[in-house]
Amino acid sequence: MYRAAVIGLGRMGSTFDDEIQQGGSIFLPYCHAPSYVASPHTELVAGADLHAEQGAIFAKRWGLSEDHIYGDYREMLAAERPDIVSICTTARHRAPMMQDAIEAGVKAIWAEKPLTLSLAEADTVIDLSTRKGVAIAVNCSRRHSPFLTEARRMAQTGELGELLQITAYAECHLSHNGSHAIDTMRYLVDADVEWVFGEMESDEEAAGEEDLKGNGYLAFDNGVRGYIRAMPTGIAPWEFDLIGTEGRVRSLANGTDTQYYRWVPGGLRDEGLPARAPFPLPLSIQGTGLSVIADLVNAIETGSDPRCSAEDGRQALEVAVALRESHRQGGLRVDLPIADRSLRIMSVEIGGDAVPARVRRLQQEPAA
Amino acid sequence: MSESTYRAAVIGLGRMGSTFDDEIRQGGQFFMPYCHAPTYVASPHTDLVAGADPHAEQGAIFADRWGLEDSQIYADYREMLEAERPDFVSMCTTARHRAAIMIDAINAGVKAIWAEKPFTLSLAEADEVIELAARKGVAVAVNCSRRYNVFFTEARRMVEEGELGELLQITAYTQCNLSSNGSHAIDTMRYLVGGDVEWVFGEMESDEKAAGDEDLMGNGYMVFDNGVRGFLRGTATGAAPWEFDLIGTEGRVRSLAQGMETQYYRWVPGGPRGRNLPARAPFPLPTSVPSMGFAIIEDLVHCIDSGEPPRCSDVDGRKALEIAIALRESHRQGGRRVDLPLSDRSQRILSSEIAQDALPARVRRLSRQ
Repeated sequence: MYRAAVIGLGRMGSTFDDEIQQGGSIFLPYCHAPSYVASPHTELVAGADLHAEQGAIFAKRWGLSEDHIYGDYREMLAAERPDIVSICTTARHRAPMMQDAIEAGVKAIWAEKPLTLSLAEADTVIDLSTRKGVAIAVNCSRRHSPFLTEARRMAQTGELGELLQITAYAECHLSHNGSHAIDTMRYLVDADVEWVFGEMESDEEAAGEEDLKGNGYLAFDNGVRGYIRAMPTGIAPWEFDLIGTEGRVRSLANGTDTQYYRWVPGGLRDEGLPARAPFPLPLSIQGTGLSVIADLVNAIETGSDPRCSAEDGRQALEVAVALRESHRQGGLRVDLPIADRSLRIMSVEIGGDAVPARVRRLQQEPAA
Repeated sequence: MSESTYRAAVIGLGRMGSTFDDEIRQGGQFFMPYCHAPTYVASPHTDLVAGADPHAEQGAIFADRWGLEDSQIYADYREMLEAERPDFVSMCTTARHRAAIMIDAINAGVKAIWAEKPFTLSLAEADEVIELAARKGVAVAVNCSRRYNVFFTEARRMVEEGELGELLQITAYTQCNLSSNGSHAIDTMRYLVGGDVEWVFGEMESDEKAAGDEDLMGNGYMVFDNGVRGFLRGTATGAAPWEFDLIGTEGRVRSLAQGMETQYYRWVPGGPRGRNLPARAPFPLPTSVPSMGFAIIEDLVHCIDSGEPPRCSDVDGRKALEIAIALRESHRQGGRRVDLPLSDRSQRILSSEIAQDALPARVRRLSRQ
């Protein structure tokens, strides 16, 4: 059993699962605390948060005594010596916390996305974790979706033929939920992005560092081409479309529907027809969070990379930064990697982060 | 509608001019009659009175198939225009000669031209034809036939009546050379969106192809002046053959499998967090499904009577070509955004269908078999 602790006791650290009423895009347990409590590999031993109210809710919800809740995460790391630590704070402080956790001797980190705000921060964290042999998993959780892992298996075993195209309709800010969208494209295509072309929502937004929406064209090093629409998607909410010469998988409606197409004989000139076939499911489906933990335990015990590694987190950020850079350069193709490592995106989730998101949401709700 | 019957002639008596419909066994992408000669024969508005082709064999097959006398078949289209004085003339030759033939037909006094695509090879040729046709009051329809296909016209109607809400995105998976069948793909995107393209980004299949004038495959991103964004994949599309996906805030229409299936999506209540779900609803069909060839003739007759432009006009044909060239230009400039219109009007694409056009396509196909 690994000793697990959570830093940042808000929504993703603690109670996100309580909001979810239907499976598909995720399966429970999904977020950090409930996964540590349910996993046979881990024991939830502590939590840390600046805001005492969040700590109190966390202790009550997950059955911890108050002396395992800390105002200062450094104190927690020193006192509890966790093996696995989750970083669920605002992204503003993620990089220094990951560094402190690595220096404190944790074996593995389960980090929320985005991995960091700047490329330089990502470089520092990745360099340190590699040197210290600490596994970092970024919570781009679609890599643990049974539908998308099955789609990737089909791509890798050749059932889709040669891959040609990945299209994502995913309305999002490019750092915040764009981390999910870009990472899922990379995961399904199983390749790295060589260059991009991007258009942001406005010249003003592209010029600044605030998180922003945009569209882009991605050229992968295995020949696949990608199109991402992160501007408003209307009636096509969160959709991924993976097209190969022999087959196609579409994930629609926020992941709640998955379609599989194969060629069958027929068509206007007997050129064949793409027909929808039942999507093959794996033999068992486990909670998304349990899958992340099993993956991290495997990484600790074998030295393998987590399915969504810190490197994957950095690549998602770098693609987002490159898309913005393409717009900044007047609409010009931008090659990766990006030379200027000081570039960053102030992920939209850090806005207003002096007050916990839970409290902000309560304040926003109209009085009954 | 006009009471008179128009005299119609076909120039270029090959596949699209004459026998294309014989290849088609299933509706969806096409509803018959579709190509030129069978449409003129069946339409109540037109009489097929003549054909012209430099290849005697094509003329003989045409006369036999459509019941014309040998005297109604001409090797020289200028002679035909002079002798037969057609009201309608179809341009179904190789695209290499299309501009010159259209100019001769306009000067010979025809009322309407039904031209195959691509409209022309160069932008300058397109400019010249459009200028002359406007001056002489001749209606020119380009056969980007999806504008006359019931599923696309119905999608367009839904857009115009607001059933799809605000339009956001048009995606086309259409493996094609950008001038040849790219004319169809780009025109269909423009038609569905109901906007003009302001600028594009394009990636061609190779630097070598992008540097030359030959027709070529490529992908592109398009910015429309009504805010819609377009993605076109003209390189290989595998299991997604000829697909258009029109996405709005309130509804969506997808045309798949070369137009043989059309899907319609609307919001219904539900979803993991009560944010509603896009659900597939039956696609609404009109009370009658017109033949695509008839729809074009009706459109051209209306143009002759009213002076209005055809649903797919010469200007639309030029825009499809201009977008294709802009996509190539973007690649040539190292992956840079290119604004429309293009200033260099000498630019052209040698549409892939003109390759080896010294021999008729029918003869080339037979010699391959």
